Amino acid sequence: MSLKNVDVAVIGSGPAGMAAAIKAKETGAENVVIMERAEQLGGLLHQCIHNGFGLLYFKEDLTGPEYAHRFIEKLMDSGVKPLLETMAIGISPDREIIAVSSREGYITFRPKSIVLAMGCRERTRGALNIPGTRPAGIFTAGTAQRLVNIDGFIPGKKVVILGSGDIGMIMARRLTLEGAKVEGVVEILPYVGGLIRNQVQCLHDFNIPLLLECTVTQIHGEERVEAVTIAMVDTKRKLIAGTEKQIECDTLLLSVGLIPENELSQMAGVKLDPITGGPIVNEIRQTSVPGIFAGGNVVHVHDLVDNVSWESEIAGQSAAELIHGRRKSWERGITLKPGRNIKYIVPHTISGKREVTLYMRVNEPEEDVRLKVGTIVTKALRAVKPAEMLKLELSSAQLSKLGEGTTEIVIDCEKRGGR
Amino acid sequence: MSQVNIICVGCPLGCAATLAIGDDGKLAAITGCKCKAGQKYVVKEYKNPVRVLTGTIVTQDSARPLLPVRTAAPIPKAKLLPGMKVLAKTRIKPPVMIGDVIISNLLGTRVSVVATSDLLA
Repeated sequence: MSLKNVDVAVIGSGPAGMAAAIKAKETGAENVVIMERAEQLGGLLHQCIHNGFGLLYFKEDLTGPEYAHRFIEKLMDSGVKPLLETMAIGISPDREIIAVSSREGYITFRPKSIVLAMGCRERTRGALNIPGTRPAGIFTAGTAQRLVNIDGFIPGKKVVILGSGDIGMIMARRLTLEGAKVEGVVEILPYVGGLIRNQVQCLHDFNIPLLLECTVTQIHGEERVEAVTIAMVDTKRKLIAGTEKQIECDTLLLSVGLIPENELSQMAGVKLDPITGGPIVNEIRQTSVPGIFAGGNVVHVHDLVDNVSWESEIAGQSAAELIHGRRKSWERGITLKPGRNIKYIVPHTISGKREVTLYMRVNEPEEDVRLKVGTIVTKALRAVKPAEMLKLELSSAQLSKLGEGTTEIVIDCEKRGGR
Repeated sequence: MSQVNIICVGCPLGCAATLAIGDDGKLAAITGCKCKAGQKYVVKEYKNPVRVLTGTIVTQDSARPLLPVRTAAPIPKAKLLPGMKVLAKTRIKPPVMIGDVIISNLLGTRVSVVATSDLLA
């Protein structure tokens, strides 16, 4: 067993971890390590071989592996120490990390600050309680993506996809291009779960049916999936009797949501937000435990990797600044409270003293709305959708309009022009 | 007169545009777009829809079974499935560096298929 004292330890080397580690190093932290349980840096980006990454961050249309490559090169040049095949298995509230590595065995790290960048995990059949048998042929969309794009296996020939999230739609296209027949993408909500771009380029382009307000009610088959039963739901998501229909298929993919992966955070005593499933953070992405920061999908599930990188750079910078004593461990701040049609806001608190970018999601799709940040900012928007994250920058000038002693700001998404 | 429906992907609004096509095959009118940029997009999408094709190439003599690839530029939408057939027939051996041309002039498009990752033995 070895003991290592480091300045900043980053857990996870996906887009969040790499951006945080590079930024921590650039900000002046000397000894920065990044832990990755796989054999290469980059996390999930390697299996996301489609394009659409980096349109905002690099102003280029890159694939996942290309986006990863840019950061890997930068990280190797920066002097950050990558620890591959090293898995963090525990964090204590006093910031001691326990990790295991195939090369070094059991390692204890004592970092001055930590950045959590573990990303997220897919929801599985267990989270949905779909009745039926337990045959082979049921995969989460991300597992199927790995099988097809990394390992070289096609999971099936006739496929039904449950959930119209981005990964589900991207897999509908991938499997079609690889020669499988996608019978349909089934979505319980009355609108598509992912980005419009994916609806057009993954489903419409290949005439893949999108079945809205429908869900899978039964899985059939003994050894292998033979069919699924789908049925329509009403506005309260209750099944409508008599609408059941059987679709023959050999494979069911589940694209039914992602959950931030926070087992380690909880071991460290980090407080989580039940809505996002991730740590409650302030504007410098510090969690409720001093010296522990977080960025990317571990905080809230993003739809664009570009925002993951940007958000994690804040966490990396703060982690380095804390070491140099340039930041207080936790600034008492102003709480941002989700109001009308706002599901959540990250960060959860702001100082009100510096410009800050807010990330938000709405509960319901709406057109012609106005975002209202307390009394200081209003911004008109043509449309909002739960699948498309809202980003709002507050300038120092706007923040200076806050009244002395403000402790809470409510953010509303109001209907515009309505009476 | 015929009609073509195109959904704009420019913003979260996702306008459902309808293009009226005259009997001479010319674009007669566009309805349903709420902005100028959207109109431009749907015309382009009607006249020449293009997409980047991404996929994988089976490797030989490498620990990794697949090399991810892309077309260096978007290609006509109609060439996506035929393009996949070309990728399926291709084999590649290491070493490959990211950006290396794997297939040049895919199906006469003058667009190359390039590696999106390094491939070592």
